[in-house]
Amino acid sequence: MKPRKVLQVALGILTSIGGFLDVGAIATAADAGASFRFSLLWVVLIGTICVIFLVEMPGRLAAVSKHTYADAVRERFGFQFYIWPILAEFVVDFLVLGAEIGGVCIALQLLTGIAFHWWAIPVALAVWLTAWLGTFDFIENGVALLGLITLAFVAGGIVLHPPWGELAKGFIPAAAPQEPAHYWFTAVSIMGALISPYLLYFYSSGAIEDGWGKKDLTMNRMVAGVGMGFGSIVQMGMLVTAAMVLAPQGIQVDQYGQIALTLVGPFGEWGYYLFAVSLGITCFGACMEQALETGFVVSQALGWNWGESKRPVEATRFTMAYTLSIAASSLLMVIGIDPLKLTLFSMALTAVMLPLVVTPLLVIMNDRHYLGEHTNGWFTNTVVGLIIGLTFVMALVAIPLEYLGGG
Amino acid sequence: MAEDFPEMPENGSRLRLIRDVLDSQMVDRRHRQSGKVDGILAELREDGRLVITAVENGLPEAVRRVSPKVGDWIAALGRRWGVRKGEIYRIPFDKVRRAGIEVRIDLDAEATPLLAWEKWLHDHIVRHIPGAG
Repeated sequence: MKPRKVLQVALGILTSIGGFLDVGAIATAADAGASFRFSLLWVVLIGTICVIFLVEMPGRLAAVSKHTYADAVRERFGFQFYIWPILAEFVVDFLVLGAEIGGVCIALQLLTGIAFHWWAIPVALAVWLTAWLGTFDFIENGVALLGLITLAFVAGGIVLHPPWGELAKGFIPAAAPQEPAHYWFTAVSIMGALISPYLLYFYSSGAIEDGWGKKDLTMNRMVAGVGMGFGSIVQMGMLVTAAMVLAPQGIQVDQYGQIALTLVGPFGEWGYYLFAVSLGITCFGACMEQALETGFVVSQALGWNWGESKRPVEATRFTMAYTLSIAASSLLMVIGIDPLKLTLFSMALTAVMLPLVVTPLLVIMNDRHYLGEHTNGWFTNTVVGLIIGLTFVMALVAIPLEYLGGG
Repeated sequence: MAEDFPEMPENGSRLRLIRDVLDSQMVDRRHRQSGKVDGILAELREDGRLVITAVENGLPEAVRRVSPKVGDWIAALGRRWGVRKGEIYRIPFDKVRRAGIEVRIDLDAEATPLLAWEKWLHDHIVRHIPGAG
């Protein structure tokens, strides 16, 4: 494979960090392992399959039509429809970006002992500076490369010699072993953290930034599979280490400091620092994605010039959109809101809005005006139909389950 | 893909305004993204013919399609503080060159209000921040 093709996998890994390895996914995977050992691994597996499909399609749309998912939804469904998912996306982006900034702040608190809210403004400035000075290539390759440190969770899971038979059984869907409300709440949280609307908007924008065309369709499939596969394996590693380290001690995850113990089990004192650095890097990557995604979505909704590969003077409304979003979201941490609670709340909200974002896929991916001969086949349409059904169920149960099982 | 699409239909042929024009991305002569088609203006002539005269761009016009009242509020805010003074910009339909996924407008967007905010932010804020250029 040519070096350029190898580097393109970076878009997949960068996207997967926001989906699988951000502050929400780390918290839910650790909670799942600590509370139910391996029994929720099947949810991560199903989530991964859904996510591979959900990023491959907008990637294909962008490569063939040179239009992003946000463009296509507004064009095909009209402003009257598009305004609702976009307003919901603003709210969720604002909260999630706040939570991701909080994740970096918590990582710095773990490393320095200085309370997280003091880090909010320096972290926000660092995120903004990277977006302001960096190009899309620099960000995707940098985050993807640094993100490889999270493989420590996979190594940790292997070093701890999990009971492979019990672990394999975790991939078979099963009813709750105990505490059904908490079990299903955690299952919906895992799915909510994985299937986020940002995936569709961000990945298709990234494909345009990377200049993909029809010749890149095979690569798109590979990037979706490898990138999401990477995120999935790391998330499973987190769940397994939490199951091996936290579950036997009866530790329930209600602070990020407790999740740090997962890597102390296999790696001793170094594990603590490894966790903090992994949390910091992945959340920083997720901050970049969320901030850029806000810029992408606003610009594409209103037809502005956009692009992280452009210099700020060439796309001023786009750069101001992400600048304002970083500033606004950082305030959530400055006032000291608990990042973990904010994360769980944003994930429930994400689950509620998902059907609005995912349902148009079925129409757009079958529109020959956009995709010509590359429209969905019956198999992909069936999978999308099932995913849409799943998002409706999640939307209905997310809030009730948060009340019943979230505490 | 957009290159594969036909020019605007010839006289006498059909044009699907809602599907192919409304909400489409506008691209100017210099291939700059110049906003979306937020509205379409038609004129009822004395002989009873309905003639499409212009496409419109402006957030208040798009929002009026959801709620006329909220659209009017946004227009009022724009008149008070906006760079475009709440103006809905109308592009004569004979300047609309291509339909399909994109709408090509035969104009230099920089010379119109379409890029007024882009220019204002450039001149007043962005270019003064180090690293912007």
